[in-house]
Amino acid sequence: MALSSLWRRAAGQAGIAKAVAMNLVGFATWIPVLALFNIYVAEVTFVDGASMYPFMNSDKDSTLRQDVVLNWKRAPQHDLERGMIVTLRSPVHPEVVAVKRIVALEGDVIRTRPPYPVSTVLVPSGHVWVEGDGPPGSSLDSNMYGPVSKRLLTGKITHVIYPFHKFGPIDWRDHRRALVE
Amino acid sequence: MAVSHLLTHPFRFTISTFKLLCALHLFQTHVFEVGPAQGPSMLPTFSIDGDWIAADKTHARNRRGALRVGDLVMYRIPVSPDAMGIKRLVGLPGDYVSIGTPGQGGQEYMIQSSILTEPKSQVPDGHCWIVGDNLPASRDSRAFGPVPLALVTGKVVARCLPFRDAGWFENGLQPVKNDS
Repeated sequence: MALSSLWRRAAGQAGIAKAVAMNLVGFATWIPVLALFNIYVAEVTFVDGASMYPFMNSDKDSTLRQDVVLNWKRAPQHDLERGMIVTLRSPVHPEVVAVKRIVALEGDVIRTRPPYPVSTVLVPSGHVWVEGDGPPGSSLDSNMYGPVSKRLLTGKITHVIYPFHKFGPIDWRDHRRALVE
Repeated sequence: MAVSHLLTHPFRFTISTFKLLCALHLFQTHVFEVGPAQGPSMLPTFSIDGDWIAADKTHARNRRGALRVGDLVMYRIPVSPDAMGIKRLVGLPGDYVSIGTPGQGGQEYMIQSSILTEPKSQVPDGHCWIVGDNLPASRDSRAFGPVPLALVTGKVVARCLPFRDAGWFENGLQPVKNDS
Protein backbone atom coordinates (compact mmCIF):
# COMPACT_ATOMS: atom_id res chain seq x y z
CA MET A 1 0.00 0.00 0.00
CA ALA A 2 1.00 3.59 -0.39
CA LEU A 3 1.71 4.08 3.29
CA SER A 4 3.53 0.79 3.99
CA SER A 5 7.05 2.13 3.53
CA LEU A 6 6.11 5.22 5.53
CA TRP A 7 4.96 2.85 8.24
CA ARG A 8 8.29 1.07 8.28
CA ARG A 9 10.10 4.35 8.88
CA ALA A 10 7.57 5.48 11.49
CA ALA A 11 7.59 2.21 13.42
CA GLY A 12 11.32 2.35 13.95
CA GLN A 13 11.11 5.81 15.45
CA ALA A 14 7.95 5.92 17.50
CA GLY A 15 6.93 2.42 18.51
CA ILE A 16 4.22 -0.14 17.92
CA ALA A 17 1.21 2.02 18.82
CA LYS A 18 1.97 4.52 16.10
CA ALA A 19 2.68 1.70 13.64
CA VAL A 20 -0.68 0.09 14.35
CA ALA A 21 -2.42 3.44 14.01
CA MET A 22 -0.78 4.09 10.65
CA ASN A 23 -1.85 0.62 9.47
CA LEU A 24 -5.45 1.19 10.52
CA VAL A 25 -5.51 4.53 8.72
CA GLY A 26 -4.16 2.74 5.68
CA PHE A 27 -7.02 0.24 5.80
CA ALA A 28 -9.53 3.02 6.41
CA THR A 29 -8.56 4.79 3.21
CA TRP A 30 -10.14 1.88 1.33
CA ILE A 31 -13.57 2.51 2.84
CA PRO A 32 -14.75 5.00 0.17
CA VAL A 33 -13.71 2.52 -2.53
CA LEU A 34 -15.66 -0.31 -0.88
CA ALA A 35 -18.64 1.97 -0.35
CA LEU A 36 -18.71 2.89 -4.04
CA PHE A 37 -18.38 -0.78 -4.96
CA ASN A 38 -21.39 -1.60 -2.77
CA ILE A 39 -23.44 1.19 -4.32
CA TYR A 40 -22.55 0.73 -8.01
CA VAL A 41 -21.30 -2.85 -8.54
CA ALA A 42 -22.56 -5.46 -6.07
CA GLU A 43 -23.51 -5.90 -2.44
CA VAL A 44 -23.96 -8.90 -0.15
CA THR A 45 -27.11 -8.41 1.88
CA PHE A 46 -29.59 -10.09 4.26
CA VAL A 47 -33.20 -10.63 3.20
CA ASP A 48 -35.59 -9.57 5.93
CA GLY A 49 -39.21 -10.70 6.18
CA ALA A 50 -41.55 -13.30 4.67
CA SER A 51 -42.90 -11.42 1.65
CA MET A 52 -40.84 -13.52 -0.77
CA TYR A 53 -41.62 -16.86 0.91
CA PRO A 54 -40.93 -19.58 -0.13
CA PHE A 55 -38.38 -18.36 -2.67
CA MET A 56 -36.44 -16.64 0.09
CA ASN A 57 -36.39 -17.21 3.82
CA SER A 58 -38.09 -20.57 3.26
CA ASP A 59 -36.99 -21.71 6.72
CA LYS A 60 -38.71 -18.78 8.39
CA ASP A 61 -40.75 -21.00 10.69
CA SER A 62 -37.85 -23.06 11.95
CA THR A 63 -35.03 -20.58 12.38
CA LEU A 64 -34.23 -16.93 12.99
CA ARG A 65 -31.48 -17.04 10.39
CA GLN A 66 -32.10 -14.88 7.30
CA ASP A 67 -31.04 -15.68 3.74
CA VAL A 68 -27.91 -13.92 2.46
CA VAL A 69 -27.95 -12.93 -1.20
CA LEU A 70 -25.91 -11.07 -3.80
CA ASN A 71 -27.49 -7.82 -5.00
CA TRP A 72 -26.09 -6.90 -8.45
CA LYS A 73 -26.17 -3.13 -8.66
CA ARG A 74 -25.01 -2.41 -12.21
CA ALA A 75 -27.62 -1.04 -14.65
CA PRO A 76 -30.61 -1.78 -12.39
CA GLN A 77 -33.15 -0.32 -14.82
CA HIS A 78 -31.92 -2.19 -17.91
CA ASP A 79 -32.55 -5.71 -19.23
CA LEU A 80 -35.51 -6.21 -16.95
CA GLU A 81 -37.63 -9.29 -17.51
CA ARG A 82 -40.82 -10.56 -15.96
CA GLY A 83 -39.98 -12.85 -13.08
CA MET A 84 -36.70 -11.17 -12.07
CA ILE A 85 -36.13 -10.55 -8.39
CA VAL A 86 -35.17 -6.92 -7.86
CA THR A 87 -34.36 -4.56 -5.02
CA LEU A 88 -36.06 -1.21 -4.94
CA ARG A 89 -36.52 1.74 -2.61
CA SER A 90 -40.01 1.42 -1.13
CA PRO A 91 -42.38 4.16 -2.37
CA VAL A 92 -44.02 4.24 1.06
CA HIS A 93 -40.93 4.09 3.29
CA PRO A 94 -38.05 5.87 1.51
CA GLU A 95 -35.38 4.51 3.86
CA VAL A 96 -36.39 0.88 3.22
CA VAL A 97 -34.95 -1.20 0.36
CA ALA A 98 -37.49 -3.88 -0.54
CA VAL A 99 -36.95 -7.19 -2.37
CA LYS A 100 -39.74 -8.09 -4.79
CA ARG A 101 -40.35 -9.90 -8.07
CA ILE A 102 -41.08 -8.00 -11.30
CA VAL A 103 -44.42 -9.32 -12.48
CA ALA A 104 -45.21 -6.86 -15.29
CA LEU A 105 -43.23 -4.37 -17.40
CA GLU A 106 -44.31 -1.08 -18.95
CA GLY A 107 -47.11 -1.60 -21.42
CA ASP A 108 -48.35 -4.84 -19.86
CA VAL A 109 -51.87 -5.15 -18.53
CA ILE A 110 -51.87 -6.87 -15.14
CA ARG A 111 -54.78 -8.36 -13.22
CA THR A 112 -54.25 -6.94 -9.77
CA ARG A 113 -54.78 -8.62 -6.42
CA PRO A 114 -56.65 -7.22 -3.40
CA PRO A 115 -56.46 -4.64 -1.92
CA TYR A 116 -55.81 -2.77 -5.17
CA PRO A 117 -59.03 -0.90 -6.00
CA VAL A 118 -58.93 -1.41 -9.79
CA SER A 119 -59.04 -4.93 -11.23
CA THR A 120 -56.77 -4.40 -14.26
CA VAL A 121 -53.96 -1.89 -14.67
CA LEU A 122 -51.93 -0.84 -17.71
CA VAL A 123 -48.39 -0.35 -16.40
CA PRO A 124 -47.32 3.17 -17.47
CA SER A 125 -44.18 4.02 -19.40
CA GLY A 126 -41.05 4.00 -17.24
CA HIS A 127 -42.73 1.88 -14.53
CA VAL A 128 -42.93 -1.76 -13.45
CA TRP A 129 -45.33 -3.82 -11.32
CA VAL A 130 -43.69 -5.69 -8.46
CA GLU A 131 -45.14 -8.30 -6.15
CA GLY A 132 -43.92 -10.49 -3.35
CA ASP A 133 -44.23 -14.27 -3.71
CA GLY A 134 -45.61 -14.74 -0.22
CA PRO A 135 -49.16 -15.55 0.86
CA PRO A 136 -51.80 -12.83 0.29
CA GLY A 137 -51.44 -10.03 2.79
CA SER A 138 -47.80 -10.75 3.63
CA SER A 139 -46.34 -8.31 1.13
CA LEU A 140 -46.37 -4.53 0.82
CA ASP A 141 -46.03 -4.33 -2.95
CA SER A 142 -47.63 -2.86 -6.09
CA ASN A 143 -51.01 -4.23 -5.02
CA MET A 144 -50.81 -1.60 -2.29
CA TYR A 145 -48.81 1.23 -3.84
CA GLY A 146 -49.37 0.77 -7.57
CA PRO A 147 -46.81 0.72 -10.37
CA VAL A 148 -43.32 1.83 -9.34
CA SER A 149 -40.99 4.04 -11.36
CA LYS A 150 -37.95 2.20 -12.73
CA ARG A 151 -35.84 4.97 -11.12
CA LEU A 152 -36.63 3.38 -7.73
CA LEU A 153 -34.94 0.10 -8.69
CA THR A 154 -31.54 -0.33 -7.04
CA GLY A 155 -30.40 -3.77 -8.16
CA LYS A 156 -31.16 -7.36 -9.12
CA ILE A 157 -30.79 -10.38 -6.83
CA THR A 158 -28.69 -12.80 -8.85
CA HIS A 159 -27.20 -15.32 -6.40
CA VAL A 160 -27.93 -16.86 -3.02
CA ILE A 161 -24.95 -17.16 -0.69
CA TYR A 162 -26.57 -18.67 2.44
CA PRO A 163 -28.16 -21.17 3.21
CA PHE A 164 -25.58 -23.33 1.55
CA HIS A 165 -28.07 -25.82 0.15
CA LYS A 166 -29.40 -22.96 -2.03
CA PHE A 167 -25.94 -21.56 -2.85
CA GLY A 168 -25.54 -20.37 -6.44
CA PRO A 169 -27.36 -18.37 -9.11
CA ILE A 170 -31.08 -18.05 -8.56
CA ASP A 171 -33.59 -19.41 -11.03
CA TRP A 172 -36.05 -16.56 -11.39
CA ARG A 173 -37.55 -17.77 -14.66
CA ASP A 174 -39.51 -20.47 -12.87
CA HIS A 175 -42.43 -18.16 -12.22
CA ARG A 176 -45.94 -17.94 -13.61
CA ARG A 177 -48.18 -14.95 -13.23
CA ALA A 178 -50.69 -14.56 -16.01
CA LEU A 179 -51.01 -11.20 -17.69
CA VAL A 180 -54.09 -9.93 -19.50
CA GLU A 181 -53.31 -10.17 -23.20
CA MET B 1 6.89 13.81 3.31
CA ALA B 2 3.91 11.80 2.15
CA VAL B 3 3.55 13.75 -1.09
CA SER B 4 7.15 13.33 -2.22
CA HIS B 5 6.92 9.65 -1.21
CA LEU B 6 3.88 9.16 -3.46
CA LEU B 7 5.36 11.00 -6.42
CA THR B 8 8.28 8.56 -6.57
CA HIS B 9 6.01 5.49 -6.47
CA PRO B 10 3.71 5.69 -9.52
CA PHE B 11 1.64 2.60 -8.68
CA ARG B 12 0.92 3.83 -5.18
CA PHE B 13 0.19 7.27 -6.62
CA THR B 14 -2.41 5.76 -8.92
CA ILE B 15 -4.04 3.85 -6.09
CA SER B 16 -4.11 6.90 -3.85
CA THR B 17 -5.60 9.02 -6.62
CA PHE B 18 -8.28 6.39 -7.20
CA LYS B 19 -9.12 6.37 -3.48
CA LEU B 20 -9.35 10.16 -3.47
CA LEU B 21 -11.64 10.17 -6.49
CA CYS B 22 -13.91 7.62 -4.79
CA ALA B 23 -14.06 9.76 -1.67
CA LEU B 24 -14.84 12.89 -3.68
CA HIS B 25 -17.59 11.09 -5.60
CA LEU B 26 -19.14 9.88 -2.34
CA PHE B 27 -18.98 13.43 -1.00
CA GLN B 28 -20.68 14.77 -4.09
CA THR B 29 -23.52 12.26 -4.03
CA HIS B 30 -24.16 12.16 -0.28
CA VAL B 31 -23.08 15.52 1.16
CA PHE B 32 -22.82 18.47 -1.24
CA GLU B 33 -22.91 18.95 -5.00
CA VAL B 34 -22.44 21.93 -7.32
CA GLY B 35 -23.61 21.65 -10.91
CA PRO B 36 -25.35 23.34 -13.84
CA ALA B 37 -29.09 23.55 -14.30
CA GLN B 38 -31.11 24.31 -17.40
CA GLY B 39 -34.73 24.54 -18.49
CA PRO B 40 -37.59 27.03 -18.39
CA SER B 41 -39.71 25.31 -15.74
CA MET B 42 -38.36 27.29 -12.79
CA LEU B 43 -38.38 30.84 -14.20
CA PRO B 44 -37.90 33.40 -12.69
CA THR B 45 -36.08 31.58 -9.88
CA PHE B 46 -33.57 30.02 -12.29
CA SER B 47 -32.58 31.22 -15.75
CA ILE B 48 -33.19 28.97 -18.72
CA ASP B 49 -29.46 28.29 -18.98
CA GLY B 50 -26.16 29.25 -17.40
CA ASP B 51 -27.07 28.89 -13.74
CA TRP B 52 -24.91 26.76 -11.46
CA ILE B 53 -26.60 25.63 -8.26
CA ALA B 54 -25.45 24.05 -5.02
CA ALA B 55 -27.41 21.20 -3.44
CA ASP B 56 -27.33 19.82 0.09
CA LYS B 57 -27.51 16.06 -0.44
CA THR B 58 -27.96 15.21 3.24
CA HIS B 59 -31.68 15.90 2.74
CA ALA B 60 -32.02 13.03 0.24
CA ARG B 61 -35.24 11.04 0.71
CA ASN B 62 -36.10 13.60 3.40
CA ARG B 63 -34.18 11.36 5.78
CA ARG B 64 -33.57 14.22 8.18
CA GLY B 65 -37.23 15.15 8.13
CA ALA B 66 -36.14 18.75 7.58
CA LEU B 67 -37.62 19.49 4.15
CA ARG B 68 -40.40 22.09 4.25
CA VAL B 69 -43.07 23.17 1.80
CA GLY B 70 -41.46 25.94 -0.23
CA ASP B 71 -38.01 24.34 -0.43
CA LEU B 72 -36.34 23.67 -3.77
CA VAL B 73 -35.65 19.96 -4.23
CA MET B 74 -33.57 17.99 -6.72
CA TYR B 75 -35.13 14.70 -7.76
CA ARG B 76 -34.98 11.84 -10.25
CA ILE B 77 -37.73 12.37 -12.83
CA PRO B 78 -39.95 9.26 -12.43
CA VAL B 79 -40.93 8.99 -16.10
CA SER B 80 -37.42 9.38 -17.51
CA PRO B 81 -34.55 6.84 -17.43
CA ASP B 82 -31.83 9.26 -16.35
CA ALA B 83 -32.98 12.88 -16.14
CA MET B 84 -32.75 14.90 -12.94
CA GLY B 85 -35.03 17.81 -12.17
CA ILE B 86 -35.36 20.68 -9.71
CA LYS B 87 -38.79 21.81 -8.55
CA ARG B 88 -40.40 23.40 -5.56
CA LEU B 89 -41.81 21.20 -2.80
CA VAL B 90 -45.49 21.99 -2.45
CA GLY B 91 -46.81 18.99 -0.52
CA LEU B 92 -45.40 16.58 2.05
CA PRO B 93 -47.10 13.32 3.13
CA GLY B 94 -50.51 14.08 4.53
CA ASP B 95 -50.83 17.51 2.87
CA TYR B 96 -53.81 18.53 0.77
CA VAL B 97 -52.82 19.81 -2.67
CA SER B 98 -54.62 21.03 -5.75
CA ILE B 99 -53.87 19.01 -8.87
CA GLY B 100 -54.92 21.83 -11.17
CA THR B 101 -53.34 25.11 -12.19
CA PRO B 102 -54.59 28.43 -10.77
CA GLY B 103 -56.50 30.36 -13.40
CA GLN B 104 -57.33 27.32 -15.49
CA GLY B 105 -60.18 24.85 -15.42
CA GLY B 106 -59.60 22.15 -12.88
CA GLN B 107 -57.92 24.33 -10.29
CA GLU B 108 -60.49 23.35 -7.69
CA TYR B 109 -59.71 19.62 -7.92
CA MET B 110 -57.72 18.10 -5.15
CA ILE B 111 -55.62 14.98 -5.27
CA GLN B 112 -57.81 11.90 -5.30
CA SER B 113 -57.77 9.58 -2.35
CA SER B 114 -55.65 6.54 -3.01
CA ILE B 115 -55.42 3.22 -1.31
CA LEU B 116 -52.53 4.65 0.69
CA THR B 117 -54.49 7.55 2.10
CA GLU B 118 -58.05 6.27 2.30
CA PRO B 119 -60.41 7.82 3.04
CA LYS B 120 -58.74 11.24 2.76
CA SER B 121 -57.47 13.09 -0.35
CA GLN B 122 -53.90 13.72 0.69
CA VAL B 123 -50.37 13.30 -0.54
CA PRO B 124 -49.71 9.61 0.24
CA ASP B 125 -47.19 8.37 2.83
CA GLY B 126 -43.65 8.40 1.56
CA HIS B 127 -44.48 10.74 -1.35
CA CYS B 128 -44.29 14.47 -2.08
CA TRP B 129 -45.96 16.90 -4.47
CA ILE B 130 -43.60 19.07 -6.49
CA VAL B 131 -44.46 21.94 -8.83
CA GLY B 132 -42.30 24.22 -10.98
CA ASP B 133 -42.32 27.99 -10.46
CA ASN B 134 -43.10 28.60 -14.15
CA LEU B 135 -46.49 26.87 -14.20
CA PRO B 136 -47.24 26.94 -17.95
CA ALA B 137 -43.81 25.47 -18.83
CA SER B 138 -43.41 22.89 -16.09
CA ARG B 139 -43.94 19.12 -16.22
CA ASP B 140 -44.32 18.24 -12.58
CA SER B 141 -46.64 16.46 -10.15
CA ARG B 142 -49.62 17.93 -11.96
CA ALA B 143 -48.64 15.65 -14.85
CA PHE B 144 -47.00 12.59 -13.25
CA GLY B 145 -48.59 12.57 -9.80
CA PRO B 146 -47.01 12.40 -6.35
CA VAL B 147 -43.30 11.62 -6.43
CA PRO B 148 -41.90 9.04 -3.99
CA LEU B 149 -39.55 10.73 -1.54
CA ALA B 150 -37.02 8.02 -2.37
CA LEU B 151 -36.51 9.85 -5.69
CA VAL B 152 -35.60 13.14 -3.97
CA THR B 153 -31.81 13.44 -3.98
CA GLY B 154 -31.23 16.76 -2.25
CA LYS B 155 -32.28 20.28 -1.37
CA VAL B 156 -31.08 23.14 -3.57
CA VAL B 157 -29.65 25.75 -1.20
CA ALA B 158 -27.77 28.30 -3.30
CA ARG B 159 -26.94 29.65 -6.73
CA CYS B 160 -23.19 29.87 -7.43
CA LEU B 161 -23.11 31.25 -10.97
CA PRO B 162 -23.53 33.73 -12.60
CA PHE B 163 -21.57 35.44 -9.89
CA ARG B 164 -23.66 38.59 -9.70
CA ASP B 165 -26.76 36.48 -8.96
CA ALA B 166 -24.99 34.19 -6.46
CA GLY B 167 -26.65 33.72 -3.10
CA TRP B 168 -28.53 31.42 -0.76
CA PHE B 169 -32.13 30.50 -1.52
CA GLU B 170 -34.53 31.32 1.29
CA ASN B 171 -37.79 29.52 1.84
CA GLY B 172 -40.28 32.26 1.04
CA LEU B 173 -43.00 30.93 3.30
CA GLN B 174 -43.07 32.63 6.67
CA PRO B 175 -45.50 32.00 9.51
CA VAL B 176 -48.17 34.66 9.88
CA LYS B 177 -47.60 36.62 13.06
CA ASN B 178 -50.73 36.85 15.16
CA ASP B 179 -50.59 40.09 17.14
CA SER B 180 -53.77 39.57 19.13
